[in-house]
Amino acid sequence: MAKRKISGRLALCAGMLIGMSGLAGCGQSASDGKVEVELVSYKPEAVAAFEKIAERFNETHDDIRLTIDSPNEAMTILKTRFIREDYPDIVGIGGDINYSNFLDADLFMDISDLEEITMVKQSYLDMDKELEFIPQEGVYALPYAANAAGILYNKDMFEEHGWTIPATWDEFIALCETIEAEGIQPLYLGYKDTWTCLAPWNALAVGLSDSDTCNQVNMGYTTFTEAYGEIARKIRVLLDYAEPNPYAYGYNDACTAFARGQSAMYPIGSYAIPQIKSVNPTMNIDSFTFPANETEERNVLNSGIDLQFSVMKNCENKEAVYEVLRFLYEDETIQIYLDDQGGIACKEGDFAIPAELEGMRAYIENDRMADYQDHHYPSEMSVDAMIQTFLLDSSENSVDTFLTRFDTDWKRYNRDLIRKVQEYQKEMGDAQ
Amino acid sequence: MKKKMTNRDKTFWAVMIPVLVLFFTFNTLPMIKGVVYSFTNYRGYGSYDYVGLRNYIDLFTDARVGKSYLFTFKYALAGTVLVNVISLVMALGLNSRIRFKSALRGIYFVPNILGGLVIGYIFSFIFTYILPAAGSALHIGFLQNSILASERYAWVGVLIVGVWQAVAMNTIIYISGLQTVPQDVYEASMLDGAGKWKEFWQVTFPLVMPFVTINLVLSTKNLLMVFDQIVSLTKGGPAQSTESISYLIYKNGMDGGQFGFQSANAVIFFLVIVAISIFQMTVMNKKEEQL
Amino acid sequence: MIERKQKTNWVLTIVLILGTVTVFFPLYMALIIAFKQPSEMTNDVAGALSFPEKWSLDNFRQAMEVTDFWHSLGNSLLITLATIALAIVIHSIAGYVIGRGMAKKKSFRIIYLYIVSGMFVPFSILMMPLVKQTAQMGLGNRAGVILLYLVFYMPMNVLLYTGYLKNIPMALEEAADIDGASTWKTYWNIVFPMMTPMHATVAILTALGTWNDVMTPLVIMSGTGQNTLPLAQLNFQTQFGTNYNLAFASYILALIPILLFYIICQKQILNGVANGAVKG
Repeated sequence: MAKRKISGRLALCAGMLIGMSGLAGCGQSASDGKVEVELVSYKPEAVAAFEKIAERFNETHDDIRLTIDSPNEAMTILKTRFIREDYPDIVGIGGDINYSNFLDADLFMDISDLEEITMVKQSYLDMDKELEFIPQEGVYALPYAANAAGILYNKDMFEEHGWTIPATWDEFIALCETIEAEGIQPLYLGYKDTWTCLAPWNALAVGLSDSDTCNQVNMGYTTFTEAYGEIARKIRVLLDYAEPNPYAYGYNDACTAFARGQSAMYPIGSYAIPQIKSVNPTMNIDSFTFPANETEERNVLNSGIDLQFSVMKNCENKEAVYEVLRFLYEDETIQIYLDDQGGIACKEGDFAIPAELEGMRAYIENDRMADYQDHHYPSEMSVDAMIQTFLLDSSENSVDTFLTRFDTDWKRYNRDLIRKVQEYQKEMGDAQ
Repeated sequence: MKKKMTNRDKTFWAVMIPVLVLFFTFNTLPMIKGVVYSFTNYRGYGSYDYVGLRNYIDLFTDARVGKSYLFTFKYALAGTVLVNVISLVMALGLNSRIRFKSALRGIYFVPNILGGLVIGYIFSFIFTYILPAAGSALHIGFLQNSILASERYAWVGVLIVGVWQAVAMNTIIYISGLQTVPQDVYEASMLDGAGKWKEFWQVTFPLVMPFVTINLVLSTKNLLMVFDQIVSLTKGGPAQSTESISYLIYKNGMDGGQFGFQSANAVIFFLVIVAISIFQMTVMNKKEEQL
Repeated sequence: MIERKQKTNWVLTIVLILGTVTVFFPLYMALIIAFKQPSEMTNDVAGALSFPEKWSLDNFRQAMEVTDFWHSLGNSLLITLATIALAIVIHSIAGYVIGRGMAKKKSFRIIYLYIVSGMFVPFSILMMPLVKQTAQMGLGNRAGVILLYLVFYMPMNVLLYTGYLKNIPMALEEAADIDGASTWKTYWNIVFPMMTPMHATVAILTALGTWNDVMTPLVIMSGTGQNTLPLAQLNFQTQFGTNYNLAFASYILALIPILLFYIICQKQILNGVANGAVKG
């Protein structure tokens, strides 16, 4: 008797649990014959643009319903969804190490038969190629928008004082001296958020080292001690012209300070412009390519893919997904995105370059661009924190300490990858 | 009678078995899986290989992991001492003859009900702007730079926030400990003319000893697992000087591609926490017996 | 004894009142930042401490919109309340069975140690396997989060209940036993009501833990379109731009429900927490 009652109560509890899970499932909308396409973007700041784009798409398509999600902590969310094997149809991610890893894990579909691929600027397709650990057949991403990094400057301040845009490293240092002599702080760095250390690092690195340095190291052709020495020495010099104790202030603080005219220049990427303008909407900002070299001809603009779309391998409705990609790649759609987010279109064509990037125009139009080096760094190696550590290290041989650590840590964090690359090399060598 | 007991036993097991199944499925089973992953080079997605003991060997030679253990222990040790001293003093204050007693107790508990992340963001703002500005205005040298920017002292900033939040809970626990001390014990000691200081060490402290044990074990465990404060205050910086073990496991295991390696780290971390807690409990139990 | 009425210690009272600044100051900061506009944010102390130019609820309205406040609040309430209710039912009976069983049998002693040791398992080791497992079981949703909380809080709550049980004499149950009541009935009619103070403690500790938790809902229910309040606040922390003012407005919004709850039930909460320490 007692036993039956117990089982009764237990059943009740179990019923409650099941009831709750039923309740949790009610969020999914019933199907109405339309093909659902789900796109997850890693750029929550672009949510407004994407909402507009999705709305337009759904108005013009009766058979497909597009939902675009731009969650926060998007990378964590994407990774947990991959663990769950709960894949969206399309992911919008950056052209960085995550793309390399996902591709290496065989998650993406070859989209080389999509006609839009032929409309992409070659340099961006090349960047994606370089991101492949092991060279792959086919195309796995549709580059959408790029950003550029170098130096942002306060245009009104420059005009007022008659400062000119530097084209070489020496001119840049001379400019900093001039600005400082007039009682103005030349640079603001905001190194508290370690990733900000990578902004000048990358901008210097594109000018001072090969774009495939990391691959060369993996294949054993060079070391970072050889390749990165000058970058390390030059990034250190910036500290002399920046706010005292830059490790106290984060990215937001630096944007605020620059927006308020507390510094004349800010070595950061175009992605910072919306944040700066939120503090000072009328600010007159322009930019120039980081003059890393002694001669102008050797300078390269740091530009990388900020957003690209990849189709998940197990996506079922290839046709519907391609329709979405085609729509996304229409000039009008791209313009909606650019108007909201700034940046540079990866598609060939007549897209307006934002006024703030006017100073980089020549480099963009002549395709003198190279990808962020940190797109090749494994995130768990935390190169950003290593650079911060190096800059905080005031001992004499800090450059050597840093680069030696860079080389040893690189081997440690990329051990499986290096083995894979070298196996592949050997295979290719054997095949020849 | 005998039959009744077996019925009781049956009921007991009818309750216990589903509970055990639930606990096993969502605690022990994933932990076992975690241990299995610790022998792989799994990234969290895609394929992986078994790598034997490599992760564990790496763990003991990894300078960054070593540094995170040092930081975490330093933080937990200093935190445990501070939290317990401060909250015992607070409890004595809040338990003495003061006005607005319940209001004050209520206010001092507020930090505990607030989320760690939110608190961290607020304090981060204070450390970055308010304190340095106050430091320059008052010409106090060490305040003029944000404490969170100092490689040597950033951990103190994290500690301040961690202690600020932990004190609330421990104070309440000590207050309830003090309330178990019967009033006549004090009266007896007062007749002897014992001084306040002496009274505390000879009368009060031995009686609240069991609460010291609870507080020590709980605060040490919570401080060792510090995570929210790191995320919101320093993100492990500057120069990786405030990377706690939990933060490193999350950051590189979940965000980075080191899931296998960080699983090994988590396994070792678990063993360390258990060992410390057992050690604390045995030592304190001995102390309690002595008193 | 009564004539020796003790005098108020005013010095101590004042010191303790002044000490509350450490609690109020951070909250004051959060509040004024929540009312300011981004253009009012300055890097100097006077500007940071000053009142906003005008007390507009605009930030709050916007924050409510971005976080889908009522929906997120509903989810947070649902998860917290369901967890509390189930914790009180399931953990108390588990605590009772273990506590009483432990006195007689070694097997229950082992179960006790097994469950309580779960307190020391770092979430980080469980996280990734749990994500996979809950998804496979169709529990990557609010129900899954509730279920996980029930498991995470089981060690602590079982510890509390078994501890409290030591204060409830066996005699009552034995008497009921002799009267012919089943164990089940005895528990619900006699023991369960007697543990009321501990139910309050368990409810409070569980509520504080679940209400503020970000990690579990983040990894378990992300992508389901459901948010809890702390999860929704992450909307303001993007790498390339934080709107501090909106963020702080949303923090304040998230604090209000639990602060209200605390102000209303302050006495019960403090007693409840104290109870956990004394009897646990």
